[in-house]
Amino acid sequence: MAKAKNAGGAAAKAPKGEIALRPVNELDIEAVCAIDEKLSGQDRPGEWERRISYYIRRDPELSLVALEGKKVVGFMLGEVRAGEFGLEEPAGWIEVLGVDPACQGRSVGRKLLEGMLEGFKARGAKAVRTLVNETGQKELFGFFEAGGFEPTPIRTLERKV
Amino acid sequence: MENVRSSTLPKKFHDAVVRWGQTFLPDYQLLLDNWEKFFPHDRRHELCAYRQMGMCDELECGTMKGKPKFGRAAEMTPELADHLLKAVKAQASTELGSIQQHQLTLARAPEEVDQFWVLRMMAEELRHGYQMFHVLLEDDWASVGDTKGEDMVEEILQMRTGSHVLGAFNVDFDSFVDNIVFCALIDRVGKYQLAMQKVSAYKPMAESMPPMLQEEAFHLATGVVPIRRWVQSAAKEEGYVGMDHLQKVFNKWFPRGLDMFGDERGGGSNVKMGLKPMNNAEAAKQYTEEVQQLVSDLNLRYLRARFPKLSRDEAQERLKRIVEKGDTVEGVGPDNLLRLPHNSFFRRRGIYAYQMIDVDGKPIETLDGFKSHLKSVLPEAYATARDMTKFHELMGKVVHGEVKAEDAVHILPNLSRVGGVCPCSRAVRWVIDEPAKSNGH
Ligand SMILES: [Fe+2]
Ligand SMILES: [Fe+2]
Repeated sequence: MAKAKNAGGAAAKAPKGEIALRPVNELDIEAVCAIDEKLSGQDRPGEWERRISYYIRRDPELSLVALEGKKVVGFMLGEVRAGEFGLEEPAGWIEVLGVDPACQGRSVGRKLLEGMLEGFKARGAKAVRTLVNETGQKELFGFFEAGGFEPTPIRTLERKV
Repeated sequence: MENVRSSTLPKKFHDAVVRWGQTFLPDYQLLLDNWEKFFPHDRRHELCAYRQMGMCDELECGTMKGKPKFGRAAEMTPELADHLLKAVKAQASTELGSIQQHQLTLARAPEEVDQFWVLRMMAEELRHGYQMFHVLLEDDWASVGDTKGEDMVEEILQMRTGSHVLGAFNVDFDSFVDNIVFCALIDRVGKYQLAMQKVSAYKPMAESMPPMLQEEAFHLATGVVPIRRWVQSAAKEEGYVGMDHLQKVFNKWFPRGLDMFGDERGGGSNVKMGLKPMNNAEAAKQYTEEVQQLVSDLNLRYLRARFPKLSRDEAQERLKRIVEKGDTVEGVGPDNLLRLPHNSFFRRRGIYAYQMIDVDGKPIETLDGFKSHLKSVLPEAYATARDMTKFHELMGKVVHGEVKAEDAVHILPNLSRVGGVCPCSRAVRWVIDEPAKSNGH
């Protein structure tokens, strides 16, 4: 896995023609907003300020961005949690990911996923989980399936209030 | 944190740090009492030293690259141990120094969340100081001089704003904007120092860095996120920090940040000795690039908040036009946005130290002209600060030929504080710059 040279952080750069990974940092907020805006059509700075600073606060080495040169072209945010919903074992949770549409087809998502899996393993996670809407997010479902994820008997239950 | 060993200092020293905290970080307990409210589920803060296990055992740079790293100072050449010791003491001094500065204006935070983030950051700086004390106390520094680790710790605990090793830590804060901009700009230098020291030839120092770096990442977010919010409020003419004030606060701190990297011509021996992977100029260049990115992002945020109908691409285009061509579009020109002061402006170390240069990098002819320029581009409250008075005094001496600029860089402000023990009585004078070599590095 190509790792960006990362002496000081944001000055990190991917070798020419390659996609490299480095931990997300506070200066990535704008780049992540830009990717999200391309995907969702919405500019949501407050949302990403909140989310990214949450992951930086929790474990700044785990959540990743993908770089092409110095440009952020993808991100994946998550954390290790234990003891939730009676699931005692520490598990990695992937909460959100995004890839710049201009870079789709270059395995950016797969590289991010591999990088995150490495990080989860190093932190003692026994499994990695995420939530995907099987019918509404077919592409995303396919992405995780291709990455070795399988549906589990644990079901999300929901009721309107 | 995985693969991390934690330990505490011998009781006497642990208690001394706790007492220091009670004086300079009186809200420490308040932070612990409110931890769950502001940082739910986050690992609780603890005053202890961490060491990352399983790091590289061999020197990662310099002439001894590939040889085993050193576990004790006595194994090193006296020159190497001396360089290392200065770096450890300077690091410890900055950690504690910043707490003293933050405390001055912490209570003025307009929002509780920002205040608690800064408070957590201060508690982590206390831990960083503790970590450096751990490094000092775990070894015997007899090869470097007669001073024992114990006495070094005492010296550092006695330092006050005005007697710290690096200039940035001798500048008083004027408002909560200083707390936040300091995190974004000065802690960013800290991140570079820590990242570079991660390769240190001295294992205890290298192992201290990863946990500190993790905390440092939070400190940078503590700075950048509120500034992003303030800029968006300023664009809507809401909030309490205008762009012009923010610019002045950037002008105040950015030069101090650059000074912290040391003389642009130096740092080569640290690389050769395997203490750091980059010389001063290279590290300062990367730092400047990062701050430039921050400024561009903030300007983009300003434009998007001010002109919500513009798309991202249109806002980028407009930003380019305003910054590069100097155009004013729909009432927004270069003066309404932020920009990085020139790297030669208001410097006290390196090749531009004590030169009369304006924010755009243009020389100013007269001392009076320079004084009034500084007054116009720095925050009003800072113009009358002790640090500024001392700076003007020294600048005058340089201009009148009484002190050479290259000597002025080694003079600390020596600021006495009214109503306290004179900090100068025990001030420490460590000059951490290696002498600049004429051929550069
Ligand atoms: Fe620190
Ligand atoms: Fe810090």
